[in-house]
This record gives sequence, C-alpha cells and structure tokens, in this order.
Amino acid sequence: MLTRALSFAAALCAALLLAAAPASAELHVTVDQANPQPLPIAIPDFAAPNASDTAAGQNIAKVIRADLDRSGLFRTLDPKSFIDKAPGVGAAPTFTNWRTIQAQALVAGQVQMQPDGRLRVDFRLWDVFGESQMLGQQYFTTPDNWRRIAHIISDAIYERITGEKGYFDTRIVFISESGPALHRVKRLAVMDEDGANPIFLTRGDYLVLTPRFNPTAQMIAYMSYINAKPRVYLFDLESGRQEMLGNFPNMTFSPRFSPDGNKVALTLESGGNSDIYVMDLRTRALTRLTSDPSIDTAPSFSPDGTQIAFESDRGGSQQIYVMGADGSGQHRVSFGAGRNGTPVWSPRGDLIAFTSQSGGFHIGVMHTDGSAARILTNGWDDESPTWAPNGRVLMFSRGSQGMRGSSIWSIDITGRNERRVPTPGDASDPAWSPLIQ
Amino acid sequence: MSQSLSPARIDLTPTTARIGRGGLIVAVLLHAAIVATTLFSWQHKLEISNESPPVVPVDLVTLADKTNIMPTVQRQPKAPPKDDVKPPTEDTQPTPTPPAPQAEVAPEPAPKPLQNKPEPAPKPETKPLKPAPAKPDTQKKPKADDFSALLNKLTSPAAAPPHARTADRTVRGVGAMNAMTMDLIETMDLIDSLNNQIAQCWSPPVGAPHPEQLRPQFRLFLNPDGSVAQAPQLTADSAAEASGNPYMRAAVEAARRAIMTCQPYKLPADKYGTWKDITLDFDPSKMVQ
Repeated sequence: MLTRALSFAAALCAALLLAAAPASAELHVTVDQANPQPLPIAIPDFAAPNASDTAAGQNIAKVIRADLDRSGLFRTLDPKSFIDKAPGVGAAPTFTNWRTIQAQALVAGQVQMQPDGRLRVDFRLWDVFGESQMLGQQYFTTPDNWRRIAHIISDAIYERITGEKGYFDTRIVFISESGPALHRVKRLAVMDEDGANPIFLTRGDYLVLTPRFNPTAQMIAYMSYINAKPRVYLFDLESGRQEMLGNFPNMTFSPRFSPDGNKVALTLESGGNSDIYVMDLRTRALTRLTSDPSIDTAPSFSPDGTQIAFESDRGGSQQIYVMGADGSGQHRVSFGAGRNGTPVWSPRGDLIAFTSQSGGFHIGVMHTDGSAARILTNGWDDESPTWAPNGRVLMFSRGSQGMRGSSIWSIDITGRNERRVPTPGDASDPAWSPLIQ
Repeated sequence: MSQSLSPARIDLTPTTARIGRGGLIVAVLLHAAIVATTLFSWQHKLEISNESPPVVPVDLVTLADKTNIMPTVQRQPKAPPKDDVKPPTEDTQPTPTPPAPQAEVAPEPAPKPLQNKPEPAPKPETKPLKPAPAKPDTQKKPKADDFSALLNKLTSPAAAPPHARTADRTVRGVGAMNAMTMDLIETMDLIDSLNNQIAQCWSPPVGAPHPEQLRPQFRLFLNPDGSVAQAPQLTADSAAEASGNPYMRAAVEAARRAIMTCQPYKLPADKYGTWKDITLDFDPSKMVQ
C-alpha cells in the first residue's frame, strides 16, 4: 500500500508539473533552423540637387551596389523596381514603398559639389521594417576620389549590418602574368579590391614571387630573382623605391611582415637546409627561429604577434606547425590527410588558412590549434591563400590544367560565394592589404 | 492462493451445517480472501497504470520529431483513441457517458482544461488512457473486469469505499496525464510550426567568430491573425550583450528582421491563448560547422 501510495504521489506530482507547463501564458520557441539568404537591400542612385552632379551620384551608387553584391551577404535590388528613384537624405523615406519591393534595408544618399571644389557625399542607411535610421554619415573629398568614398560607404554599411569591419576600401598586390608558358613575364602589380585601378610596379625584367603588404599597406615585401639571385626585396609604394632586405649569400624567400610592421619573418636557405628567421627592419638584426635539418618555411604571424605558424617536413611530410614568435614551443597542428602547407593566420585570429595537397591543391581553414579543419575550394590547383582584413573572406590563386594561365579567386570562409576576381590578364599570388587609412 | 482456498471449502460445507456463526465467519473470511485477491490484482492494475506516466514523455519526444515532418501525423494518433475508447467504456465503465466531449474540450484552451478535469467525474478520462497502449490493455482488461465484478458484489461491505477512492485517483491522474500529453503534443506542434516559419526568413551571421554563441532572445506578442502585435522585445540579457558586441547586435537585428519579415504566422486560431505571448530563442549552433 505504501508503495502504491508513493507511486501515486509521484504520478500526481508529475501530472501537476506537466500541467504547469502549458498553464503558463507564454510559449517558448527555439528557432534552430535557418534559411541563409543575402540581405535584400535597395541602393538607389544618390540624389544630386545640381544636375551636374548626377553622374557622380549614379557612379557612387553603382560601386556600392557592386561591392555589397560581391560580398555575397547582400542582394541589391534592381533600381528599375524602385518606386522612389532617388529618395535623398533630407527626410525619412516612405518605408511602405520599400517594403513593397521586399527591401529590408535602404541606402539613400546625396552628392553635391561644394563652392570650394570638393565633393560632399551624404548617406543614410535605413532599416525598412524597423523604420529607423541605422547609420548616417557625410564625407568631403576631391571629386577624383569618388570611387574611394563609395568603397568607404560600402564598408560602413557592411559593418553596420554584419557587425564586422568591411574590406572594400583595400588593395590587392599580385603577380601579373603574361606571355607564352615557357617565357612568362611576371610583374608585380597592385589594384583596388574590386579590380579597378590596376598598376604595374615592376617591368617584368625579373621573376617576382610572393608579394606581401605591410600593415600600413604602403610597403610590399616580395621575392625577386634580380641578377639571378633570389632574394627578398622591399618596395615602397609611395616613393616607388625598392631595396634588397639584407645581403645574404644564399636564397631568401617567403617574407611576411609582423603585425606591427617592424619585423619581417622570412626563410633563409643555407647548405640545402631552409630555416625561418626574423629581421628587425629598424636595426636589420637577424634572429634565427628554427634550426631543424628539415625544410622550415612559410612563416605567418598571429595578429597579436606572439606566435608564428609555419610549414615543415620534419615529421616526414609537409605539415603546419606553430611556435612562439621567439621560436619557442614548436609543435605540429595539422594532422589532416595529405600534405598541408603555406599557413596564413587570420587577421581576426580565430583561423589559419592553408593549402592542402591531397589529390590536387585546395584551400582550407582550421582553428589555430589545428582542429576543425575544412577544405573550402575544390579547384585543381588552388594555392596562396590571403585574408581580407576582416578575416571573413579569402583570396587565392587558381591554376588551370593545360596551358592556360592562373587567375585570382575569392571565397567566403563559410565556403560559399566563390568568385573570380577581375585582373588584367593572368594573375597569381594575391596578397590583401589592410583597410586603407 | 487457489490452493489454500479450495481445501477450505471442502472443510466448510459440513461445518456450516452444524455451526451457523462459524460458517458466517468462514464466509466473511472467504470474502475477505477474495477481496484480498482482488486488491492484490488491483494493485497490479494500478502499478501498470502508474507505469504509463513515465512513458508519456518518451512518446512526446518521438511525436515531436514527427511533427517536423507532418502535422497530420499527430492528428492520427489523437483520433484512434476515441474509437478505441469505446470498447473499454462498455467493459469497464457502466456509469458515465460523456468521455469524448471532455477530451476534446481539454485541448482547446490549453491551460484551463487541465484545471477543469479534476473537477468532473474522472471516469471518462480513463478511456483515452487505455487506447494508448493497445496490446497490454487487451490483456489486462479481462482481469480488471473480473475484479470490478467482484468489487461490485462487495460494494455493500464497508471495506469497499477506500479502494474505490484509490481507483478514482488513479483514473483521474492518468486521464489528466493523457489530456496533458495531448496538450503537450499540440504545444510541440506550435513550437515546430513557429520554428519552421521563422526559419524561412532567418539568416544568422554564421561568418562571425563563435557564431554559435550569438543567441538573441525576444519576447513576442502576436495578434489573433498571426501578425506581430508590437515590436519584438529584446530580453535584458540579450540587450546587454548586444550593447558591447557588434556581432551580437548584428545577430539581434538579423533575428528581428526574420520575425518581422515572415509575419503573419499561420497558427491554429483556437490555440491563440497559447501562442499570443511567446519567448523566442534564436540558436544558430546547427548552422555552424
């Protein structure tokens, strides 16, 4: 009887507990499924109170639309569908007109030439469903700079909506390739992130490889075979000057700046053995970090400058290792299939991009401890990953089978939105600059 | 038990002829033995019926999974109980008649019926219980019928009432449990339905660092037509988190856009009391590799 009474009591308690849940007036719902889609955003041409500024208003809006579309996170709506063609910035827009065309965000802008010859650009970012302003900014610039202003506005919109810094006001340094396969001319070149304004920095007399920006995007370190001696050089974008980094009897290659820009990590070959060194750019003092008889190369600093990822074949095959910036605590982090090399630490610090060689070359990312490695690309020959300054997007060079040349591509770290980056002719070895300041 | 009873009868027949009182005592003892037997068996029945509550949550889990696929799948199990109910009613329930209406009324206003059930006669609710475990019921029912028949014969003795009460309680608890099961299943339906509908419009910021940690929570009030009654209210914790973290702010805004874009929500009008006031958690962990 006691047992029965107890079991009764238990059943009653359970019943009351169960009864309590639905008795609450509140329903608890967890949304754990999603339908990731680019954000529909309307970017009408920027209004121009003076007819002479109409073209500038159209051009700026066009560049912003292209930037945001390219990111894969936005879907810019066709201006033909707009009920209001150029809403301007003087008053709040008629939100119903934008809801009607399914816009979730609206960018309204205005351009106006000032009496002093400068261009004034205003814009507002509106939350269409919330009917509130998310962002409003104003810029003054020389009219020639309209394109940069457009990129800066794109970055501001991107950051406001995604929570992370943009990457549109940046540049890409790369190796431009031309000529027949056996006599390729490789020139150092730089262009805007969207492929605009390409400039050749070298004439192509010598082979150039692995260019890398410094943190101010004013200096490029690269390897060149000037006079048949492969050495690391520095190129100053402002002055156009270039200089050899150190004077070593043997080959130096694979340079990369430290996050503060004061040091360059590089590989120095000596007697068939390659090791990693760090050179202080102010004192030109050289410090050796590895001394293993294997090939140690491709150093890349963590964004806080305390660690360096590199590749080594000391374990029998090419794999990724991490060590302190002083060479201490060297340990292997990649254990995936095939060979893994050319590690590049994300500016955000959370991931390391790398090249995986397993039935072809592919770009992958992994946590900095080597965990959660995943391959993002499936080209035949994808190499040389480089990070956007926000750590969200990667560019890489893609070789093609046969005699065709290579090209530059970008991909989101989610593995989506793979796109070819427009370049003048064939291109390889891209390096993404920090945000221009 | 049967061994001890049968010899007693053999001895009794001659003695009762001689001593009337002794025979009565023996008869009473015999009845008591029968009652004890029924109690023993009844206890079994109770144990069985008591075992069903723990099974309830297990059923809920599987049904919840199914709700993701088809809402109709859940309706089917609800319907059969009514049909199955009838046989047991005829067998076990001689007295009450209105079982079906009560079972139907209960699910409509989710919280109220549960409170109401204890008040009315508990017997009808037993019917829904039995249909759930189909096979075991059929095996056990005969026993229950036998014992109830015995109990009916013994209703005049004073010993019966306490057992009747316990029976009442069991029946009531089990019936309420079953109705609650129905309510919970329907609540799961609502949750799945809202999850599915809002998910259509939700693009969480999966590229952010540690996106699985960006889990905004809202309080949402809906109109009877499924439209959003007022701007979704971000909970204090989420608001505090968003104020210092641009990624969280972006996650909050993405979730809010999802809520606003996918309205009005298609939900059963008769359950408005259940879904007019909702706490919404956005959990992107499944979207993160």
